[in-house]
Amino acid sequence: MHKIADIEIQHDIMLANRKLAKKNQKILDKANVFAVDFLGAIGSGKTSLIEKLIQEMDYPVAVIAGDVISKFDAGRFEQYNVPVIGLNTGKECHLDSHLVEHALHDLPLDEVDILFIENVGNLICPVDFDLGSHIRVVVISVSEGDDTVEKHPLIFKDADLVVINKVDIACAVGADEDKMVEDVKKINPDVQVIKTSLKENKGLSEIIESLEKFMAK
Amino acid sequence: MHELSMADAIVKTVIEAAEKNEAIEVLEVTVELGQMTLLNPEQLKFMLEVLSEDTIVNGAKFNMEEVPIEIECFSCGFKGKADTDELDHYVPIINCPECEERNLNITAGRECNVKNIKIEKSDEDAQDS
Repeated sequence: MHKIADIEIQHDIMLANRKLAKKNQKILDKANVFAVDFLGAIGSGKTSLIEKLIQEMDYPVAVIAGDVISKFDAGRFEQYNVPVIGLNTGKECHLDSHLVEHALHDLPLDEVDILFIENVGNLICPVDFDLGSHIRVVVISVSEGDDTVEKHPLIFKDADLVVINKVDIACAVGADEDKMVEDVKKINPDVQVIKTSLKENKGLSEIIESLEKFMAK
Repeated sequence: MHELSMADAIVKTVIEAAEKNEAIEVLEVTVELGQMTLLNPEQLKFMLEVLSEDTIVNGAKFNMEEVPIEIECFSCGFKGKADTDELDHYVPIINCPECEERNLNITAGRECNVKNIKIEKSDEDAQDS
């Protein structure tokens, strides 16, 4: 005799990630570390921005470099003699709080004030996965086209700071950077949007100022 | 492609529940999917079917239930469903349907919830164990 049974489960996979993210933030808070999750398109300048912040910000820093193959970016950060953990996501397109939790255990958190987490270059998948960082910075560039923001609105909804990079080549690629700023403001009216040309260090001091404000909160 | 990691977590959750309840077969799995998640239900279903192969979940019917986006407006206090256009993720996140202000909080629509499963179990097995 076989019988059929309905079993209630109610297990939210997203919630499980968010719970783990909260746990990560507790670990960070206990060690007094301010964590920033950098999200953005491929080639928008996330790695370059983090490199410049490591050099310009007057704090001991650690980095988690997340990528499909992370050794390339991790190698760039290691040049600055900061603790770096590379997280290979392999076939996955985003970091999740479980991967980050492992990295947190391997980092000397007591010796750093800021943790930069570079997410996988992608404007879609990382949106659904909180990592436990204190803020999310979204980095895009004009070379992705000035319709990037309106095509990927959700990532901007949750952003705490938005960087529009490579404005020096906006003309050459036919992009209107001010339209991109307006599009971000439509989605997230209160967020600060900084136009940068990181190659020329333009806008870098504004980003540092903004990050320091968040740290002081 | 984060449907794959989601599907993997869903299948693991289902296997765990099925084993705990001494199922001999999983017939149906119902998953609630928030409209706000950037998950494609069809892709997710495909992944679930592939990952279920050679497990107790193999052959189960996957029901995808869409959870509408609900918002809470900081300006007028409106709480409820947002206006959505399934082809445009832009619409629900810019305006409150009441006062059209943009300052709002999303209270539902981000779920990927394994709601329930229908299993077949053997009475005799259940009594023996």
